[in-house]
Amino acid sequence: MRRIHWHLPVLFPLLILAAPAGAQEPEPPQPPANERTGQRSGGGEAGAEAPQNRRDGRRRGGRRGARRAPPVVIQAAWVHPVSGSAIENGVVVIRGERVVAVGKQGEVEVPEGATVRDFPTGHVYPGLIDAETDAFTDRATQSATLDPGMAIADDLQLRHDRDDELAAAGITTAYVSAPTGKGAIVRPLASGFELWEGKEQAAVQLRMTRGPVATHPLERQQQLDAGLKIFEGLDKYEKAKADYTKALDKYDEEFAEYLAYHEKNKGKKPAGDEPAATPPAGATPPAVGLPGREGRRGRRGERPPRGGGTQAGEELEIALEQLVALLLESEAAPPQDPPPAPPPKQDPEKGGAQGQAADGKSAAKKDEKKESGPPKRPSYPKPFKEDPAKEALLDVLGGELPLRVEAHRPDELRAALRLQQDKDVPVLVLEQAYGVAPLVNELAGTGVAVVLTEVLPGSMPERYEEFDPCELPKALHGAGVPFAIATGRARRAPLLPLMAAAAVGKGLDRDAALRAITLTPAEILGIQADTGSLTAGKLADLVVFDRPLFSSDSRVLLVLGKGSTQYEVN
Amino acid sequence: MHRTRTLTFLAATTLAVGATTVDATAQDLLVSAARIVLAPDTELAPGQLLVRDGRVAYVGDEIPAEARQNARKVDYGDATITPGFVLAQATLGQDGDLAEAAFAFTPDLLAAEAFDPWHEDLEELPRHGVTSLALSPSPRNVAGGIAALAKPGSNADGDGEGRIAERELHLQLSVARAARDQERAPTSLIGALDMLRTVFTDARQGVEGGPELAILRQVLDGSRRLFAHADSYTELAGLLELAREFGFEPVIVGGEEAEKVLPLLVAQKVGVVLGTLSPEMRIAQLRLPRTLAEAGVPFCFGGDPEQLRMSAVLAVRYGLDRDIALQALTRSPALLLGQEATVGSLRRGCAADFNVWSGHPLDLDSSHLATWVDGRLLAGSGPGGR
Repeated sequence: MRRIHWHLPVLFPLLILAAPAGAQEPEPPQPPANERTGQRSGGGEAGAEAPQNRRDGRRRGGRRGARRAPPVVIQAAWVHPVSGSAIENGVVVIRGERVVAVGKQGEVEVPEGATVRDFPTGHVYPGLIDAETDAFTDRATQSATLDPGMAIADDLQLRHDRDDELAAAGITTAYVSAPTGKGAIVRPLASGFELWEGKEQAAVQLRMTRGPVATHPLERQQQLDAGLKIFEGLDKYEKAKADYTKALDKYDEEFAEYLAYHEKNKGKKPAGDEPAATPPAGATPPAVGLPGREGRRGRRGERPPRGGGTQAGEELEIALEQLVALLLESEAAPPQDPPPAPPPKQDPEKGGAQGQAADGKSAAKKDEKKESGPPKRPSYPKPFKEDPAKEALLDVLGGELPLRVEAHRPDELRAALRLQQDKDVPVLVLEQAYGVAPLVNELAGTGVAVVLTEVLPGSMPERYEEFDPCELPKALHGAGVPFAIATGRARRAPLLPLMAAAAVGKGLDRDAALRAITLTPAEILGIQADTGSLTAGKLADLVVFDRPLFSSDSRVLLVLGKGSTQYEVN
Repeated sequence: MHRTRTLTFLAATTLAVGATTVDATAQDLLVSAARIVLAPDTELAPGQLLVRDGRVAYVGDEIPAEARQNARKVDYGDATITPGFVLAQATLGQDGDLAEAAFAFTPDLLAAEAFDPWHEDLEELPRHGVTSLALSPSPRNVAGGIAALAKPGSNADGDGEGRIAERELHLQLSVARAARDQERAPTSLIGALDMLRTVFTDARQGVEGGPELAILRQVLDGSRRLFAHADSYTELAGLLELAREFGFEPVIVGGEEAEKVLPLLVAQKVGVVLGTLSPEMRIAQLRLPRTLAEAGVPFCFGGDPEQLRMSAVLAVRYGLDRDIALQALTRSPALLLGQEATVGSLRRGCAADFNVWSGHPLDLDSSHLATWVDGRLLAGSGPGGR
């Protein structure tokens, strides 16, 4: 892969500075102590300090851990934690990035030195979570046909097409979706966004609808069947991969034996020929793209973590290995072995150094003594080309990534369910699902979740007239099917609370409606441990409205994301 | 005494026969609710109305005790009642029949003559809270003709799904793109403006010209209102210049870029009928209702009847005061149409056109419970879901 090229100049200095492997993202520098600006809306980087320091000039220079940051206390007429009932005259205590306490004023201890923000008529809610948006993408991404291996996160940018409205609307977390590819979870900031660590590739998207065009059900059926074919061939791929891994292991063992034998018999040179100084034609080094075989044992449950510091650390090690190998290459014969070679005739010294360079780890691991005659030099297995699309689908089948299927009409939705059953997909999320009404009872108890968009009166185009998304939340709630209400588009960000309100207008329970734009999308996105409600220990993502958020004229007064101000009204 | 009782009994029996017969005039209705918005700045909480012969006869404390006793009780409990929505510009899906494609200048044609009382869209109107609308000639003609006031609900004989309540309203002009894209003159904005300038000049100078010029003369002397479609800045500026030159006060229909001519709108006392608001619009357009309200320009919501409520909700979301928004759905369009005596509010003498909601109509968490037109239930259900 490309990485090998830049690793050298970048990692060489790191080697020298001895940066620890697996280092976490360093804490961002704090502003200078003499700066007196009030609002800092630079986003998540300011997490370590309190968001508002207007009250006093106290600014701590240098890096401080979150525990030392002055706490922030939000007081309001009503606090709606979602994880419990609404609290009148409530208070939320925040330290650093996290919520420390939620309760009634007077019952919750306000820490010393806390910055208090009082909203006498305000309503505090958890930061809203938009389970589907097109923010930070452009039309090309939304209309392209990407394969499941492509990550949308690779092309997210602030595009000034109302993308900046998400933070101002109180949305602190959003899942960026496209019809195909892999979606990403982001945190909208005052200007820009940051990817949610570990969730830059959060789900695999699949489109099983052609949209509101005139189609015949049988015609749709054909297309749906064609769509199901993407899951074919995965068994073969997986088997080929497993075979390759096995072959590599076998190679490691055998080569270790081979080395060990020659180590033992160092002095006793067999009737020798010189080592092959040049690789015979046809030798192919293993695909450089494989970042270390050791990290890829097995398919399920052992894959290296994506994103974040650990991958950088691992790549560092691998690059080190390869770097050293390259350095030694000039002296020794090429580190990798050619296919079936004549009987081992190498100079044991060189063979030893070589072996260490190339197989340092595996040799160290598999040091076995063999008693029989000189073992045959093992041949390197044929390289295996990874297919990111198939890897993504295997992640889906392994339950590591949800499969999000966009389907509108009832027959398309049924095809999605059939897909889930046939292929045994552990986590399925239905997107948009306007026509899900007839399937509500089938979905109950399956664990399938639904993300609804267009939950506004009169939103359906002509061909979808018979569907009413505003009525779906009540039906889904009644059947116990988890559902989220989402905007679908960045331009609708300010309308998210109104969509939940429209669901209430058609009979949905008010608390369930609030949950559908906070805790339930957190659960569907797999981030409920960190956000989605105002609970001690969770991230301080919250939004303050000047009145109950379902009112059409409710205005956002303050938005905090990880404790930092992302929006406020002056 | 006996007579009253007998009459009451007979009336009750008649009503009991069923809703198919047109008999709403037989008995008064006493409508009550937790909150009744009669007109902007006039609210009763709790409120009562007495409906007689399809009109509001008495309001609140004015209701005489006897009428109160004899009326059929329609009690909506906790609900909020507002006047029905008035749609100041609509073609009801009959666009083709509402414009003479061969000639651009046909100011004397009547939209009422194209009205189809069985059109399926008429049934939809009460479901979205619309109780009267101005059936207008299409914007595809520079001078389309005369609009008419139409209402859903069968006519006196019980036929059809709608009727014409007022045969002649305003004159409809258009300098919008639709008027210039037909395969006949005018094909440009300057051509359209020139056409209008010519005929207005002729009208002012008293040139003999038959019915067309007669109508323009009515506009010039103020006895006929004028609505004109214009969206872009150039269309608006051209039209307003014409209005200034000939001294009439048009009502703009559309006005997508109206924020760019705001001072002219204020100075020339121009009203605006907005199109459907959608979240995909420019922010300036979404904030336009608020801008117009702050500048004191009379305006109302228009466009697709199914999106009326949502347009108003969007305007509120983007800064419009909610009471003004409700006004812009009811009294303001009635004023612009010149029909404020009969529609748009629930004062004495107005038609009994009202919507029933579980809360404030512009909060989406309120549900729409019922719509009554001329004292008859046309959508939703009576109290208690009956």
